[in-house]
Amino acid sequence: MSALVEYTPGDSFFHKLDPRSKIVFMVMITVLIVIVENLWIAGAILLTLFLLWLIAGLSLSSLRELATPMIGLAAFLLFVQAILYPGHRILIQPIVPHPIPVIGGRGSVTLEGILFAVLLSVRILAMVIVLPLVTMTTPIHIFTLGLVRMGLPYRLAYTMTTALNLIPLLQAEANMIADAQKLRAFQVFEKGGFLDKLKAYPALVTPLIIGAMRRAQLIAVAMDSRGFGASANRTYIQEIRMRGQDWAFVVVAGLLGAVAGAADFLII
Amino acid sequence: MNKDRVVVAVEDLTYVYQPQGVRALTDVDLTIRAGEFVGIVGQNGAGKTTLLKSLVGLLTPTQGRVLITDLDTRHMAVADLATSIGLVLQNPDQQLFAQSVEEEVAFGPRNLGLGRDQVKQRVDEAIGLTSLDAFRHEFPPALAKGDRAKVVIASVLAMHPQIVVFDEPTTGQDYRGCHQIMQIAWKLHQNGRTVIVVTHDVALIAEYTERTVVLRGGEVLLDDTTEAVFAQPEVLHQSNVTPPQITQLASSLPAALRLPSQALTVKQLGDAILARTLSTRTHH
Amino acid sequence: MPSGDPHIIFDDVSYRYPNAKRYVLKHVDATIGRGEFVGLLGENGAGKSTLCQTINGVIPYSRGGRMHGNVIVDTLNTRHTTVARLSQKVGIVLEDPESQFFTTSVLSEVAFGPENLGIEREEILRRARRALDVVRLRGYEDSAPSTLSGGQKQRLAIAAALAMRPDVLVLDEATSQLDPVGTREVFSLVRELNERHAITIVMATNKGNEVAEFCDRVLVLHRGELVAQGTAREIFADGELLDRVMIRASQASQLATYLADRGAPLPSFPITLDEARRAIIRLLQDAA
Repeated sequence: MSALVEYTPGDSFFHKLDPRSKIVFMVMITVLIVIVENLWIAGAILLTLFLLWLIAGLSLSSLRELATPMIGLAAFLLFVQAILYPGHRILIQPIVPHPIPVIGGRGSVTLEGILFAVLLSVRILAMVIVLPLVTMTTPIHIFTLGLVRMGLPYRLAYTMTTALNLIPLLQAEANMIADAQKLRAFQVFEKGGFLDKLKAYPALVTPLIIGAMRRAQLIAVAMDSRGFGASANRTYIQEIRMRGQDWAFVVVAGLLGAVAGAADFLII
Repeated sequence: MNKDRVVVAVEDLTYVYQPQGVRALTDVDLTIRAGEFVGIVGQNGAGKTTLLKSLVGLLTPTQGRVLITDLDTRHMAVADLATSIGLVLQNPDQQLFAQSVEEEVAFGPRNLGLGRDQVKQRVDEAIGLTSLDAFRHEFPPALAKGDRAKVVIASVLAMHPQIVVFDEPTTGQDYRGCHQIMQIAWKLHQNGRTVIVVTHDVALIAEYTERTVVLRGGEVLLDDTTEAVFAQPEVLHQSNVTPPQITQLASSLPAALRLPSQALTVKQLGDAILARTLSTRTHH
Repeated sequence: MPSGDPHIIFDDVSYRYPNAKRYVLKHVDATIGRGEFVGLLGENGAGKSTLCQTINGVIPYSRGGRMHGNVIVDTLNTRHTTVARLSQKVGIVLEDPESQFFTTSVLSEVAFGPENLGIEREEILRRARRALDVVRLRGYEDSAPSTLSGGQKQRLAIAAALAMRPDVLVLDEATSQLDPVGTREVFSLVRELNERHAITIVMATNKGNEVAEFCDRVLVLHRGELVAQGTAREIFADGELLDRVMIRASQASQLATYLADRGAPLPSFPITLDEARRAIIRLLQDAA
């Protein structure tokens, strides 16, 4: 999972954008995808993200890794919304027979329901793609620098960076913990039932949390010992600059977003 | 216990880490018999960790095979090998999770499906072996480093493995901690169990083990009695291994003093010197 | 090399961690001279780490708890000076190589400290390059800290501290997680910093052989109290002390003690291999 968040070096146009443009883009997409109700427009947004993914030279297998869990979710949504969404164009007759009180006559599969489920899935998929699109094309310290230059207090930015940097470490820890427990004949995750698995979580999670807390404390000492918080005017050796292509990107994205929003508003 | 019975048979073991294609072990052959006390040394990157993980089934050989008491690790789950070979990992904090030392030590036996009485018996036994009685009801992560390490040892011992492997048991430990841990290893050895210690602490190896295997670049550089191994500093140097100070001292003494050129421990060299001073004294 | 001036003064220092009842430091009185290379010995839990962290103010400032007495570095009292200010005088390297880094490149790591001080960009890069030169990690600027070996990681941590231009470097069990090669790397580098760059060193460690070879003087902690101080020779010769505080001397010294206990003391008490060799030769030749 961490591989989906970690920076993958590259030469693409998207890689070279200033982090601020990418952050603005990310916020725009997120807002837009939630507002838009027309399935075609939502689909167009998703397609744009997909194209950007390709332009950035990111691997399709990573995309698949991100999208696959969504299939299960989508199927679930499809089932639920198909039945519960208040629609009119009935495709399949009521599941619940009429004579049954209260819920009798409900549970028809409607076209609107199916379409709504698809819209939800598109939304979720888009949101799941947009963040890695940015984090995989931006080194973490550049990303945080972008946030800082946009006004985020640097303490907060560093908290974020440290947390993000910790993810791959915690993953490695989790694997080692799993191995260690297997050495004590712990097989619940291979052979146990659902309840057993639930009861067994402490064996995996407790060492991870304790380890994370210990590490966090050490990192805090290390940071303090190197003067963290000494000056409100912190220097950054990395430089980021909004260039012509950044402004162009933001403006174009903004316009397209506005058009999409307006179109959506007019259609619905 | 048949002392000649082979309990660990590593045959042509090769391991390559994917997808990077890093070759960590190449054609390693190793035979360990019941009751031996073996040390494994070698610089970082020599393949010690890979070898250990292969012994307990955490890694499946890319080529070759590993037999633990005649069980082929390629066909066994790690959890199923746990009663034959126990591995005490370096970092105790990567496994401690229970509310009390007792619960922690009981974890293994319970996973094995043992009955309540048997579990209790094993827990008591393991806690006794590791002198953790006073800490029975303590929260393991809150204990001192040396004690946390002992809890892990106890929890592995409670599985009753014939072979016990220690991965860098003394890293980060103080003198007391090192001593206690090695005493436990020694006790196990005396009780007939097979003990393997992977470490870069050469003084430890020299003091406790009878046989030492030196790894370098994924291959076995030396495999001989500990004495014979430490008598070859030039070969050891190839894996950045230096004999203990006392051994270097002994080998640097002029032959005219008629002291043994080999010493593995302070006691050995000390006794030899005492013998010489006594004999020179009695000559006067 | 020591110059005689006091650099760090521990004045009746006692400390307990927040929510703890037990004091982990009790009435510690000691002075460390400018330019000294001091070893801090004691078993785990004796208070070595705690004492180390009082020198740059992390204790009590960041950790909280209750402190009595004073720690004075140069003329700065750590209780009345911010950790940020002290970080320009005292650098610290921690035990775990993994948990000291939080950026993705060696260069960012070394630059982190000066960045915090708001120092001008060109100056930061100059300092970083200089620090990496001293620890011999030039060329690794763009490497991720996680790809370095244990010894390299600790050298990086030293560089990160050096970028702040401290005149004291505190190493808290910095070689405990390293193999002999890494340990040697770090001790040698630290000695160089002490001899060539006049940095006062406080090194908490349990490695007897290295202490004998590198330290000018040794402080011994036991259950929070300073129970002894002196040269490595004085400390390693005190068998009763070593047994009591569970510290191991160098093997050369262990041998000398072994012989002395059995009525055949060496003519001089050795702490290093060479000294032991010479002493043994003299013992047996004198006897002959």
